[in-house]
Amino acid sequence: MSPTNTKRILIVDDEESIQKVVSLSLKMEANWESVLASSGAEGIQQAEIHQPDAILLDVMMPVMDGIDTFSALENNPKTRAIPVIFLTAKTQASEKRLFQETGVAGVITKPFEPLALAATISQLLHWSLKDQKAGGRLV
Amino acid sequence: MFHRSTATSTASLSAEAGSAFWPAIADIHPVTFGSQARLATVLAYLKTSPSTGCILATRQKKVTGIATRQDLMMALAQHSNWASMRLSDIVTRPVITVAYSEINNISRLVERLEQHRIGYLPVVDETDRLMGVIDRNCLLHVLQDQRCGQESDQSLPTHPHRAHIFADITLKIRQSLQLKEILQTSVDEIQRLLKADRVLIYQVMPDGTGKTISEAVTPAYPSILEIPFPEEVFPQEYQALYAQGRVRAVADVHAPDAHVSQCLLEFIDQWCIKSKLIVPIVRPLDPPETAAKDTIPIRKHLWGLLIAHQCDHIRHWSDFEQDLMQQLAGQISLALSQSQLMSYLEARVRRRTAELTKANRTLKQEIQERKQVEEALRQSETQLRLITNNLPVLIAYVDRQQHYQFNNQVYEQWLGFLPDQMHGRPVRQLIGEVYYQKIRPYIEAALGGEQVSYESELTFADGRDRSVNVTYIPHIDHAESEAQVKGFFALTTDISDRKAIERMKDEFIAVVSHELRTPLTSIHTSLKLLATGLLGDLLTEGQEMLTVADENTDRLVRLVNNVLDLQRIESGEVTIDAQACSTAELIEQAAEAMQAMAHQHNIKIKTKAEALFIWADPDYIVQTLTNLLGNAIKFSAPEKTVVLSVSAFDRQSDSSPSDLSPSDLSPSDLSPAAALFRVQDEGQGIPADKLSSIFERFQQVDSSDARKKGGTGLGLTICRKIVEQHGGTIWAESQLGQGSSFYFTIPLASALVRSSVSSL
Repeated sequence: MSPTNTKRILIVDDEESIQKVVSLSLKMEANWESVLASSGAEGIQQAEIHQPDAILLDVMMPVMDGIDTFSALENNPKTRAIPVIFLTAKTQASEKRLFQETGVAGVITKPFEPLALAATISQLLHWSLKDQKAGGRLV
Repeated sequence: MFHRSTATSTASLSAEAGSAFWPAIADIHPVTFGSQARLATVLAYLKTSPSTGCILATRQKKVTGIATRQDLMMALAQHSNWASMRLSDIVTRPVITVAYSEINNISRLVERLEQHRIGYLPVVDETDRLMGVIDRNCLLHVLQDQRCGQESDQSLPTHPHRAHIFADITLKIRQSLQLKEILQTSVDEIQRLLKADRVLIYQVMPDGTGKTISEAVTPAYPSILEIPFPEEVFPQEYQALYAQGRVRAVADVHAPDAHVSQCLLEFIDQWCIKSKLIVPIVRPLDPPETAAKDTIPIRKHLWGLLIAHQCDHIRHWSDFEQDLMQQLAGQISLALSQSQLMSYLEARVRRRTAELTKANRTLKQEIQERKQVEEALRQSETQLRLITNNLPVLIAYVDRQQHYQFNNQVYEQWLGFLPDQMHGRPVRQLIGEVYYQKIRPYIEAALGGEQVSYESELTFADGRDRSVNVTYIPHIDHAESEAQVKGFFALTTDISDRKAIERMKDEFIAVVSHELRTPLTSIHTSLKLLATGLLGDLLTEGQEMLTVADENTDRLVRLVNNVLDLQRIESGEVTIDAQACSTAELIEQAAEAMQAMAHQHNIKIKTKAEALFIWADPDYIVQTLTNLLGNAIKFSAPEKTVVLSVSAFDRQSDSSPSDLSPSDLSPSDLSPAAALFRVQDEGQGIPADKLSSIFERFQQVDSSDARKKGGTGLGLTICRKIVEQHGGTIWAESQLGQGSSFYFTIPLASALVRSSVSSL
């Protein structure tokens, strides 16, 4: 976890545009840093290296999907403690529940409200945004 | 079986006894039968032997019973079951017999016959063995012949011919059963025997008149055949006398001691009658038509008279002649009885034949109809088989004992089972224990009278694994007092193709869901970030364009979400994860979720919740409530209030949305079965003609307005689907200009518990 109030979030998504808008949203809303990964395998690697405060993990990815990636992160002593939030286009309640049952910290569906994304993550992980250095207009 | 006694033994005994009368008075070959002989056999014999007057039942040549021809005829007439009767059933016992040593004493014989009023007297030896039967008539004739011989009467043949003549006449009479023939034979023979000028048979009619119905007359004299006798000639009192057996022998009709009335004298003079001998013919009464069919009442009455006339001279009728006439009248009577019996039997046979013919005709018709029905059935069955064998489904009928009773040919095509081999075999044995245990609950449900369907996998004979849908329809027999399940029909459909399409659709939805949302997410997020102005200021026009792009992206996002939601719900893919939820919490959750939008539109949301627990998936109920709230907010003017409430509702089981309204609700409703949610606004309202269609997809009240409000036209359809999936009902009420209310019901958790308990 980052020593300062600024959070470092690992964004794992095979869509580069999503990586960009999520990263920008977090930056603008809460001045959070982002680490980007385009696949599950890269995500695990980046998590080991950067030890982010949280991981935003896309569910539907080729080769290794979000569920397998989460399982690998859970089984990795170096990444086990990092909270994971699924970022998914699947919106059905039953699917969301299925994802939650895997043990992830939360599920955020696409499309999300860009300037409320950091707030949503904070709520899911019981962080207080007020304690953090606001980078955007939202405090 | 019958036999005739041997003449050898009789001859030797005859010689020993030395009776001169023996062959004349006795039948030395009497007909004997075992006492257990069937009556039918005896009667059949009698028919072929008209001269037989009586039958003897014997055992070891000893007489045990006797039956006269008349006895047998009576039995035939009186017992419908005569064919199954035995000789022993009708014979007279004990039998009066006479020892052979006594037969020389004729007067003793006559005395015995008269004493016992019998016509036949069996003769036995010292060991009681039968030797012959004395015939009363023959005996009397012999006696008569003796007397006549003594009187040197030459008018009639002498002994032994007279007895033979009598027997001969009797035989001739008995040889026919035709009345006319009998009567003619009788008069012919009597005239010949007596050498009378005229012998006639006069029949007495029921009205007291009468006429000659049979006549033998010498050519010199006129015939009186068919001439009716006036009643004065033969008055009722005379008839009564004759009925009692009176015999009238008049030597000279004109003699004063003849006491012939003047009236009658005038009548008989017409026919040149000088002497007359009249004997009555009595016989049983004709059976009335209404009498029981199988019995004939035996009552004697005066049927007619046997009359002999002498026209050329006065004639003194001898006792023998009178006796002979009487005997012959008796024989005629007997023959008449037999003839009558014959007619009666013939009538019965005709009636029975007619009945049988009718029955036969009916039977033939029935057979014809049955053949037609069978043919129709065969055609129907062929047609049914043609249909069942050509439908691409497995069709079976299973009885209560879970045995196959019918399988169509498709079983062979799909599974390699021959329907003939399946017939009568237990389901369990045929499909194997493992698969049987899987489907057992469905079988038991069907035999419990419930229609059930399930999906399963089957491996076909060609090795392919196929998805099938199986439906069991109970065969309920309502014919009996209590409806009974006799078995069930099983229909199995191959749904593999449908399943494949469903899988493709699912994949398509998944792809659309992901592939459409991903670029939308990027556009949406980028626009939102641009709109913050944090990435640099835009010109006013640029800002406006950005707003347009942002709003339409929002709409596109909603549309994609709604399309996917609806698709999922309609395909049944949605899994309702029902649980007991607090209505108050759901209301608060929905209100909170819509607070931002309400604030944006300057609308106040007011909640009113009754503490209830419903059986529902909370996510979907909140989705429904937010959807309705969103509509209410969008279509309300600023500063208006939207009320979200929930209360208890005792739903009528057969209510439909159109007849359910809050006005139906009554506080006195017993034990609420559902929660009633209501979203009330003060907006522009919905026209009455649109109220029923607004829940259909893309049915907006005003599409241009709706577009302006960012609606997709699918929100209410999704709401309805969600509510229906929960077993609830949704409807709307509205008054133009005054606002609208949207209602929906969701079953209470307690109601479902009650319902499931009551169904146990």
